[in-house]
Amino acid sequence: MYSRRMFLKTGGIALFTLGVGPRFLTRAAAAAQAATGGAGARRKVLVTIFQRGAMDGLMAVPTLDDAALRGVRPHLAMTAAKSGGEEAAIDLGTGFGLHPGFNALLPFWKESRLAIVHAVGSPDPTRSHFDAQDYMETGTPGRKGTPSGWLNRAVGLLGHDATPFRAVAMTAAMPRSLYGDQPAIAVTDLADFRVRLPGAQNVAAAAGQGFEALYQQTSQGLLRDTASETFQALDMLKPEQIARYRPANGTVYPESPLGHSMRQIALLVKAGVGLEVAFAESGGWDTHAQQGTVNGTFARQAKDLAGSIEAFWTDLGPDYQDDVLLTTMTEFGRTVRENGSGGTDHGHGSCLFVLGNKVDGGKVHGTFPKGLDSAALYEGRDLPVTTDFRAVFCELAGKHLAIRDDARLFPGWTGHRLPLLHA
Amino acid sequence: MKAATLIVIALAAAALCLPPGGGVAVLSAGTERQPSVHLPWKAAGLTEREAAAHLLNRFAYGPRPGQVDEVVKMGLDRWFERQLAGNLPDPRVTADLRPLPALALPSADIVRTYPNPGEVLREAKKAGAVPQDAEKKSEDPEQRKQTRQAVLRWAAQQGYHPQKELLDQLTAQKLYRAVDSENQLAEVMADFWLNHFNVSLTDNKARPWLLSYERDAIRPHALGRMRELLEATARHPAMLLYLDNAQSTAAANATTTIEDEMERRPMRRGRGRFGVQRPPAAGLQPAAKKQRGVNENYARELMELHTLGVDGGYTQADVIQVARAFTGWTIIPPARREEAERRLARAQRAGGLGFATQGDFLFRADMHDAGAKVVLGKHLPAGRGMEDGEDVLDLLAAHPSTARHLATKLAVRFVSDQPSKALVDHLSTVYLQSGGDVRAMLRAIAESPEFWSRQTVGAKIKSPFELAVSAIRSTGAHVDDPQAAVQWISHMGEPLYAYQAPTGYPDRAEAWVNTGSLLNRMNFGLQFASGRVDGVGLDLPALHGGKEPESRQEALTVYANLLLPGRNLDPVLKQLTPMVTDPGLAQKIDDAAPRREAADGDDDTMMMNEGAARPRAARLAKAGQGGARKGMGNQIRPPRDLHPPTPLEQVVGVILGSPEFQRR
Repeated sequence: MYSRRMFLKTGGIALFTLGVGPRFLTRAAAAAQAATGGAGARRKVLVTIFQRGAMDGLMAVPTLDDAALRGVRPHLAMTAAKSGGEEAAIDLGTGFGLHPGFNALLPFWKESRLAIVHAVGSPDPTRSHFDAQDYMETGTPGRKGTPSGWLNRAVGLLGHDATPFRAVAMTAAMPRSLYGDQPAIAVTDLADFRVRLPGAQNVAAAAGQGFEALYQQTSQGLLRDTASETFQALDMLKPEQIARYRPANGTVYPESPLGHSMRQIALLVKAGVGLEVAFAESGGWDTHAQQGTVNGTFARQAKDLAGSIEAFWTDLGPDYQDDVLLTTMTEFGRTVRENGSGGTDHGHGSCLFVLGNKVDGGKVHGTFPKGLDSAALYEGRDLPVTTDFRAVFCELAGKHLAIRDDARLFPGWTGHRLPLLHA
Repeated sequence: MKAATLIVIALAAAALCLPPGGGVAVLSAGTERQPSVHLPWKAAGLTEREAAAHLLNRFAYGPRPGQVDEVVKMGLDRWFERQLAGNLPDPRVTADLRPLPALALPSADIVRTYPNPGEVLREAKKAGAVPQDAEKKSEDPEQRKQTRQAVLRWAAQQGYHPQKELLDQLTAQKLYRAVDSENQLAEVMADFWLNHFNVSLTDNKARPWLLSYERDAIRPHALGRMRELLEATARHPAMLLYLDNAQSTAAANATTTIEDEMERRPMRRGRGRFGVQRPPAAGLQPAAKKQRGVNENYARELMELHTLGVDGGYTQADVIQVARAFTGWTIIPPARREEAERRLARAQRAGGLGFATQGDFLFRADMHDAGAKVVLGKHLPAGRGMEDGEDVLDLLAAHPSTARHLATKLAVRFVSDQPSKALVDHLSTVYLQSGGDVRAMLRAIAESPEFWSRQTVGAKIKSPFELAVSAIRSTGAHVDDPQAAVQWISHMGEPLYAYQAPTGYPDRAEAWVNTGSLLNRMNFGLQFASGRVDGVGLDLPALHGGKEPESRQEALTVYANLLLPGRNLDPVLKQLTPMVTDPGLAQKIDDAAPRREAADGDDDTMMMNEGAARPRAARLAKAGQGGARKGMGNQIRPPRDLHPPTPLEQVVGVILGSPEFQRR
């Protein structure tokens, strides 16, 4: 029997380090192998940024000198750069302009590494954020019950062994895109990614082993499986790797949640922990009121998005850029006509950006309507969707991640990929 | 409550009898005679202690020390009845909330006292306290600092307080009430409804109104009726601003109520004061034609999220019609209240003209689309005013789709992530038969066999808020300063009041449990138990009558039973017991895996490195610094004095971080 003194002296730590012997050791070995490239050396990475709130595609990439647009957007339409107005969009030389907030992306456009897909979106008519995000993330417009997200299915179709870091969302909660059978990680700050007890890290390490044993044996399946993934991941990404990370090429990320997310995705790409699908979010696109033009709400969001992407690409540098393909997405577009509050309401088609060294860039892809008069619009008010988002995602995941089974990636979809990447 | 009884203002009278909160804060009474409750736990094969613990885990934020036994002694039925009534005296909460001055202020005063920083800057410029182009000089840090200080000085002279103080009080009161309130079910329901009628502090227009929203629109009706909740949320500035209805006006080509009114009362035209051309703009700026237009946002979420549900059988046409019905539902801007009231009084003397006000709510007849509407097949005749919106709320509250939507959400909240169709059907019926009575539905849940089945017990995963509150309650900890705990809740994935979308947080296990958040839950358990959650004091030995356990085995057994009362702990205890009987095993494992310890490194150096390496954005993130940042991986500052955790703290930390403690 232990005396109280004995308990105080020897207690605690030893208590928790039980029962994890053999599995722990095999797993550590597997992790070491993966970290050194044993699981298949460098991986292709698909990076996705979800612009929550529905980006106004006609403000991001407007038609230039369009009387119809100016007519319905007396306060929101921008002139072309060449006309030299205060409210000037960058002239992309294709009849389209680029909102000046996206200026940081212009070099990639000129290098033909950045493509725009316009009038893209979901065939489902919903104008609800919740539904439209859900449909875009599940990849099954009109079908609520789909249990998995499309990125999760993409991971499942990779066809090779993967590490716990195969799919990472830089979000506090798992996004719908990554729901499903394939384990994924959601974390806002990699530095927190360990069992921590400030001032007593040795205790935390031991407690971590105790937790591992406890969660291994819980009858609650979700807790058990999630914990198992958690501890595998911990073995792969060492705290010092995170602490010592410095962006390359003098990169300075925007001091924003998105900038922070992109910096960490770059870290994971370069750490070689087996990242294959990354997910980040950008908020604040639901511009119902006081949207602004060159300045204002939209411009701020645009600058943050473009600045974060530009920093990410620069940080990756030539060594890693070939591995990475980045795409933005947003649940729908906004009304062509401005509303009574200096903003735009929920619409239909929008646009998205694709960045990568194999991208057929410097082009606006998709089919844009001949004019923006109401006869050409969806329900007489919105930019129509002429390209199903699945045609884009399928092309990107298909070519970049070598996924062949489009029917399993997007169940129920019978369309064709939109050519966007060179072979 | 029908509109007609409330509106067509008698401004003078209204001004006299307005309660401080500005709302109709009538607690729909627990005094109605209810038949006595019968909870069928025995039939489900639970012991009385198990049943009491289950009750406390679902209809309260978990048991306090000794509370399971108290509930058993009182009788489970009686405990539940008292919770349904929700009117127990609450001296602890009263004491907790005393230091929070914003809670006692009328809503408009809150907004005036804690204005948005942007608002302050604008006013300071207008008053000449800082130059007009102040922010343009922002490249110069010294200049920036001076400007900031000048603005702060000026703001203090005006009696303004930093908005962070308001947001800290907002989160503090939520935590205090959940931890200490005797009326636990009312707290659980306030949380449920706030999430159901979500307004996010990430929206800076709505942000200063949130405290009043919860206090005046949600809390008084948390155990009331759906129709009351709809009325209260529809009229509250937080919702009107968050979903943009405050600026939704009749389309430029539509006839407004006041125009219609003037058409019908030509004799008034001669009086000259309120010609059709210049309607009495009761807010401040007249509803200028160029700024006119219907905004659909509120109408859509009202049907999709608040009432019918997404598959509830409405169309885009209904959304537009409902949006038209709510045109003119707006707010009295607090900064211009006196002017607005003066104008309203004039309108009143002119015979009402269809304007109405209640608290901060304002119905503007000059913004309302007076045309006829058809909503879900029901015809709303032309020429009306605020009745349009009221009729829509009546229609939606009584709709079978609303019954089903709420039945499902309540069943998910209280029973399981996948409630049976039979239970949802039953609750829908109860909703329709009781006229949307929340108490009747809660009672039906508690009286259902499904609630008491063994599969249901422990089936829900606690939200981060539930986890933190139940940890505080179960350890009998004392909260001196809630902010570190609030940050932990955010860190585990539930930034309070900050879910950006009107959907509110999803209520299912997968939304809360992922690799990152699970790790944070374990860390919370460890750090909480060892006193590393700043501002929360706990005395673990006192829980066990001041007696320190004699052994690890005893510590484990005693504290697992204290913290997880009424649960079957055999599996957990069995896992940990071998360690006690074979202490050498730990050493063996340590020897087998030496690299792991080394890799974790010296943590103090590590912490400094982390701080240095992390971008400022991450360190910046803290309450009040712009809602969007709240959800980020914010560094939580532990207390200065970090003693090495005692063995007892380690034991308790592992219990709180264990899978069992994540469940309710």
